[in-house]
Amino acid sequence: MIEVNGLTRTYGRFTAVDDVTFTAQPGRVTGFLGPNGAGKTTTMRIMVGLTPPSRGSVRIGGHDYRDLPNPGRRVGVLLDASAQHAGRTGREILTVGARTMGLPASRVDEMLQMVSLTEQEAGRRLRNYSLGMKQRLGIAHALLGDPEVLILDEPANGLDPAGIRWMRDLLKGYARRGGTVLLSSHLLHEVELIADEMILIGRGRIVAQGDKQTLLAQNGSVSTYAAGLDRDALGVALQRAGLEAAPDGEGFRVTAAAADIGRAALEHGVVLTELRNAAAGLEDLFLELTSDTQRDAVAAHDPQGAAA
Amino acid sequence: MTAQTSHPAAPPSGAPSAATPWDLSQDARMPLSRLVSVEIRKSFDTRAGRWLTISIIGLVLVASVIGAFAFPEGQQDYVNLLGLAGGILGYFLPILMILLITSEWTQRTGLVTFALEPRRPRVVLAKVLAGLALAVVVLALGAAIAAGATALSPVNGGEAVWNLGGTEVQNFLLTSVIGVLVGFALAMLLRNSAAAIVAYFVYTFILPIVADALSALVDGFEKIAPWVEFNTAQMPLFTGDYRATGEEWAQIAVSGTIWLVIPFAFGVWRLMRAEVK
Repeated sequence: MIEVNGLTRTYGRFTAVDDVTFTAQPGRVTGFLGPNGAGKTTTMRIMVGLTPPSRGSVRIGGHDYRDLPNPGRRVGVLLDASAQHAGRTGREILTVGARTMGLPASRVDEMLQMVSLTEQEAGRRLRNYSLGMKQRLGIAHALLGDPEVLILDEPANGLDPAGIRWMRDLLKGYARRGGTVLLSSHLLHEVELIADEMILIGRGRIVAQGDKQTLLAQNGSVSTYAAGLDRDALGVALQRAGLEAAPDGEGFRVTAAAADIGRAALEHGVVLTELRNAAAGLEDLFLELTSDTQRDAVAAHDPQGAAA
Repeated sequence: MTAQTSHPAAPPSGAPSAATPWDLSQDARMPLSRLVSVEIRKSFDTRAGRWLTISIIGLVLVASVIGAFAFPEGQQDYVNLLGLAGGILGYFLPILMILLITSEWTQRTGLVTFALEPRRPRVVLAKVLAGLALAVVVLALGAAIAAGATALSPVNGGEAVWNLGGTEVQNFLLTSVIGVLVGFALAMLLRNSAAAIVAYFVYTFILPIVADALSALVDGFEKIAPWVEFNTAQMPLFTGDYRATGEEWAQIAVSGTIWLVIPFAFGVWRLMRAEVK
């Protein structure tokens, strides 16, 4: 369990992390989501004592990270898979970690096998690794000490689709067995698939948190897309049923549940060809919530102007 | 690389509970000896580190053999050959030490090192001890090579002169260790391999020249120089009878405070509060 309380980090007049408070629970994957430069990495660095906080505290398993006698055995950390000596082999990097934590050499082989790095790949120097291989090695390094908590910064970065699925299964399984996983990403769909709980951060501040349902419910409005064989007849039917409808492509975007539209269509004998939920997805929510913190104008990503 | 095989991650040991904090009483602390041995390993497990060490020793070997053959008859003794080995090692050992610190920053391994041991003073201590242990081993090798060269020296006439005393050994060790520690302090202050190595050579090569020049030009500076310039202060340990007088020891202490103790303390202080990037 990771408890972050009122965490703030300032650099001169710039506030990188602004009063961040959240808890990552055991048995759950907590996704830390935000655009580049939102403060995700800084928060994670503070967690493991690499950056001193300006204010606030982080407790992992009820303790200050610095008070863990052998932190690698409790907390697995991957902040930057490239932050390893380019001249060391993959195996040597794991060996140095295992030795530091006081683990047997056999653990290195287990981890290499777990992340599917072959004997030959493990013997290569890091400078010859692809980003995906570095990422696998970094995950192996984080898992070396059989920790209860995993803190992973952009772990899916550079993994191919198969690799991303592999990591997803790995981390889900890990959480299911009682582990605490905190992972960051700037890619929503990545987090959406894996995280039980999401923390959205923008410009150093938490803008929303909760599980997917809670976040979507927060966003409120119901919206359904409907299209029929006879577009005009459908428009009339919707109007008569008192439903708010806006033309959208072949059909209408309606502020009503699918059942209400279906009923209106039935009453007026209109054949529906399409009826689906058109509520703003997490992506719209994410872009909206972090809109003032995005580097690029969000409007460009939101062609239907549908969010909220 | 096949991505399909997914061995499950080992289950986290002990079922963690949200409410109760971890019981750390069974967690073994990482002994300092382990950290030291890891640091020693880290200075050899890259091609750069390995070849630096090999080339230092190779250079000492070549120079000693040349010395055994080409030194003037009267200087083919152990003290002179040891001085040659010590001179070479004196320049290169600090580089080995500098890399031990700076690679944590330039190669960014510090992210892992300081996450695995967040008590930074222990990391620094482990590195200092690892550096000194390496220095002593390399110095012993240097001494052995010098001994070999001394034994070889009768080849071109004369005889092997084993004129080594305790004072010479002590000075040999002391000056080498001082050099290593100065390198260490500079590395902690600058955290960049190239900058620290350049700074070290400025300190060992240029400062003594500046001190000499000032002594020649400024009346009375030669009296002040050994008090403020560390290399100058150490000269009595290399020359003459290899014995420093009480005043000379005081000069070593005073200039050593300026060039070693203060930078070292400041370097540690900076490292304690630095962000590891």
